[in-house]
Amino acid sequence: MPETKENGAKPFDPFEPFRGMRDAYLDAMSKAMIDAVNTEGYAQTTGAMLDYFLTASAPVRESLEKAMTQALVQLSLPSRQEVAALAERFTNVEMRLDDLDAKIDRILKAMATPRETPIAEKRVNPVRPAAKSKKA
Amino acid sequence: MSGGPVRATLARMGEFMESFVPLEEQSLAFQKRLRTFTKVITTKARIAQTPKELVWALNKAKLYRYVPVVPARSRHRVPLLLVFAIMNRPYILDLRPGHSFVEFMVGRGFDVYLLDWGSPGIEDKNMKFDDYAMEYLPRAIRKVKAVSGSEVFSLLGWCIGAILTTIYAAMRPDDGLRNLLLLTAPLDFSKRENLTFARWTDAKYFDVEKVLAAFGNMPGEMIDYGAKALRPIDNYVTNYCKLWDNVDSPRAVEAWHAMNTWVTDNIPMAGAAYRQLILDFYRNNSLMAGTLHIQGQRVELRNIEANLLDVIAEGDHITPPCQSEAILEKVSSADKEIFRVPGGHIGIMAGSGAHKTTWPHIEKWLSARSF
Repeated sequence: MPETKENGAKPFDPFEPFRGMRDAYLDAMSKAMIDAVNTEGYAQTTGAMLDYFLTASAPVRESLEKAMTQALVQLSLPSRQEVAALAERFTNVEMRLDDLDAKIDRILKAMATPRETPIAEKRVNPVRPAAKSKKA
Repeated sequence: MSGGPVRATLARMGEFMESFVPLEEQSLAFQKRLRTFTKVITTKARIAQTPKELVWALNKAKLYRYVPVVPARSRHRVPLLLVFAIMNRPYILDLRPGHSFVEFMVGRGFDVYLLDWGSPGIEDKNMKFDDYAMEYLPRAIRKVKAVSGSEVFSLLGWCIGAILTTIYAAMRPDDGLRNLLLLTAPLDFSKRENLTFARWTDAKYFDVEKVLAAFGNMPGEMIDYGAKALRPIDNYVTNYCKLWDNVDSPRAVEAWHAMNTWVTDNIPMAGAAYRQLILDFYRNNSLMAGTLHIQGQRVELRNIEANLLDVIAEGDHITPPCQSEAILEKVSSADKEIFRVPGGHIGIMAGSGAHKTTWPHIEKWLSARSF
């Protein structure tokens, strides 16, 4: 419901007398339209309209694209596809950087984690570097 | 000569002129209403105002962390990552101060993150659900873990975001996902007679390849038309009548303005992802049938063991309840619950009653599982 003014009087609205009628009409129309769009006929009609639009506009789109590509070549500017391909490569580089970031995070975390093996135990059972071991 | 008749005439003329004053006032009031109405439908409201910081970005995707307002010792230990649909802006979760789910959860001690997929360009037309769910989402989750210092986390997926989070949960069951919240999740496409979108995009009437060949990505305007055409009178007529009826109420106008700003902020959907949505989901119901393959691997819903809250909007015409119910039978989660809310697809989270129904339930459910 619309709010009223402080003095209680409703602000002037030329549509006020028609509001009830309008709401009833819209309610009925809404229900009818919901039913209408939920039919095979509507799906078929909108599908056909879209198909017609795409078919009719395809030659125009193609010729525009061709003309634009030729103009860009003449101006030594990259085409849309080339810019898109470059952007895709940037994304791949970003992903590799993100992978590196993840690896660095893991390394830093491993370095920060205190070793679980007690020092005394380590002395009892030392691990020799492979390079210093003597072979028989 | 007496001045009586002249004075009387002048007095009557004065009375007559005075009778126009209220009319003039009313005319001014009408003009004011018209100005407000025009301004609201032609301008953008200030939205997404909860303070946040960018913590990660990849291509168009951005991960935000909302600035906590509760001291660290009082906060919930498990961070919450919000994932919205890929063809709408995610700020519906943080619409305006006092009416923001994000603000509500941050205020109740959650460490909240939001993944904004961004608007795909023509260079992103080959992005599939595989990329969103298995390349972007795991990376964002890694960052959430790194920033929060927690190895476990909660995921909230809404609409198509719920498909992505479900795929991720099924493909990476050992990643530390503790709680999975699905909001109006379109997962089951078996009851085609209840799905208007399924009828419209049937192979008999809709050539998805032709559309994508023309546009590359699915244009935001076409997606918007599709959503609005489900209830054409409500969206194209009644919605504006409601604004006119309430144009003198600043509160109602502010709410309408914010919602209209979100509704009209359309973004395209990456072409390959749209193709998958139509072919794998709407036409073949692959996820529920167990035949969906992501990055060459079958998605098995029984791998999901996280606690599951499935929020269903009873009046949802975009994702009818029948699309979200079957998931509970398919997962292995011991702790699973369906929460039904009266309201529509967006209304249950961003409507005027959301802070009394949906948000408190989510907060209570999540609090009990975020220690």
